[in-house]
Amino acid sequence: MRILLADDDAISRTMLERTLERAGYDVIAVENGRLAVEHLCRKDGPRLALLDWVMPELDGPSVCRQVRQTREQPYVHMVLLTSKESKQDIVQGLESGADDYIVKPCDAAELKARLRTGLRILQLEDKLVEAREDMRFKATHDPLTGLFNRGVILELLAREMTRTNREDSCFTLLLGDVDHFKSINDTRGHVVGDTVLKEIACRILASVRSYDYVGRYGGEEFLVVLNNCDKSRSLFRAEQIAEAVARAPVQTASSPITVTMSLGVLASSDWKNRSLEEVMHEVDAALYSAKGAGRNCVRSAHPQQGPEANYSKRNNPIVGSQ
Amino acid sequence: MEVCKPSSTYPINRDELLARVDHDYELLRDLVNLFKRDLPLQMAALHRAIANEDHQAAERTSHTLKGMFLSLAASEAGASAAKLEDLSRHSEKTAFPKALALLETEVARLIPQLEACLVKTEA
Repeated sequence: MRILLADDDAISRTMLERTLERAGYDVIAVENGRLAVEHLCRKDGPRLALLDWVMPELDGPSVCRQVRQTREQPYVHMVLLTSKESKQDIVQGLESGADDYIVKPCDAAELKARLRTGLRILQLEDKLVEAREDMRFKATHDPLTGLFNRGVILELLAREMTRTNREDSCFTLLLGDVDHFKSINDTRGHVVGDTVLKEIACRILASVRSYDYVGRYGGEEFLVVLNNCDKSRSLFRAEQIAEAVARAPVQTASSPITVTMSLGVLASSDWKNRSLEEVMHEVDAALYSAKGAGRNCVRSAHPQQGPEANYSKRNNPIVGSQ
Repeated sequence: MEVCKPSSTYPINRDELLARVDHDYELLRDLVNLFKRDLPLQMAALHRAIANEDHQAAERTSHTLKGMFLSLAASEAGASAAKLEDLSRHSEKTAFPKALALLETEVARLIPQLEACLVKTEA
C-alpha cells in the first residue's frame, strides 16, 4: 500500500519513513504541503496520508481541505501528525477533513495500528463503492444482454434530441427487431432464444462506435442511437448493422441458427420539435414497414428523393412508412 | 540577570531513542547527521526572527526545533523550544532572552550526548 508522508522536519520524516517501510508501506515522502496536495490529487495518487500539522506553504489542515475539495473518488484517509494538544486545535484539524490524528513524536506501534484502522476503512469504502456500482449497473442495464435497458436508452435518446436541437447537430435513430424470433423460442426453447439475443447484442455493439448508444427496447427489439450520423449515412449504417447480425449463424446449444433483423431508420433532420413519443412512433412505423416488405431489410421513415436513394444494398426498395 | 541552568537530567533518553529507531544504529547515525546539519540553520533562523521581532517566524522555527528535539528523545530541549514557541505566539518579547539562553544551554549538551550515544551503542 502506498502512503504519502509530508513533514518538513527531516529528522521526523526520515524516522517515520523508515518505520513505515519496515511495516511494508511504499512511502512517498515530501517536505511541504503543496507537494502533498500535488501527489494526493493525482488520479492514481496514494490513498493513505500522514500529514504534519505545521508545514511550509500549506499546513496539514489546509492540505486536508484541498484534497477533500478536489478529489472525491477514491477516498483518501488522512492522518494529521501534531504536537498540538488543545481540544480546539484537534477539533479544527478534524473539521478540515482529516480522519484521525496522532501526537508527535509518535509511538511506532500506535502509528501502525492507526494506519491499519485507516486501511480497514478504505477497504470498507471500496466494498461500498463496488456494491453501489454493481447496483447502478443493474438499474441501468438489461440483465440478459448487458445493453442499456429501456428506461436508460429512452433517456439517452431524449438527451440527444435536446442536444441536437441546441447545437444544430444530428443523429440517427434505429429500431431493430429480430425476424421470426417467436418461432426460435417456440421451436428451440427460451434458453436458445436467450443465446440468440445475447449474440445479437454483441454483434450490434461490435458494429457501432464507442460513442453510439445501444439498448434493449423490448423482448427482441433493439434501439440504437448513432451520434453525429446524418441522413446521408443513416441507411448505410443501418445496413451495416443488419449485415453484422445476419453474417454468420448464431452458435447455440442445439444447432447454429441463421438470424436476420429488420430495422426502421429515422434521421434527426427529419423532425423538428417532435416529442419523444412522436419520434418513437415514427421509427416504429418504419420498422413495421420493413417487416411488411418481407423482413431482413431497412426502411427509412422519411425516404430521400431520387431514383437510387431509396434502395438498400440488398436491392430491397426503400419505401417510406408514410 | 538569572543564570540559565541546564536541567539536571540526562539530556537524551537513550532507551526511548533506541526504541524509537527500533535499535537501527544506521538509522540513528543518519538522524544524528541530519540533526548536526539542520540544527545550526534552525538556530540561526530563530536568532534572526527574534532580532527582527518576527514573532510568527520565531513561533514556526521554535516549533520545528521542538519537533527535532522530541524526535530524538531530548525532552528538556524540547520543553525549552516549546517555551519559546509559546512566548512567540503571545509576543512576549521581554522573556525571549532568558528562554533563548536556556535553549542554547540545552542544545550545547545535545550533540556530544548524541555522539556518545552512538559510540556506546556501537561498542
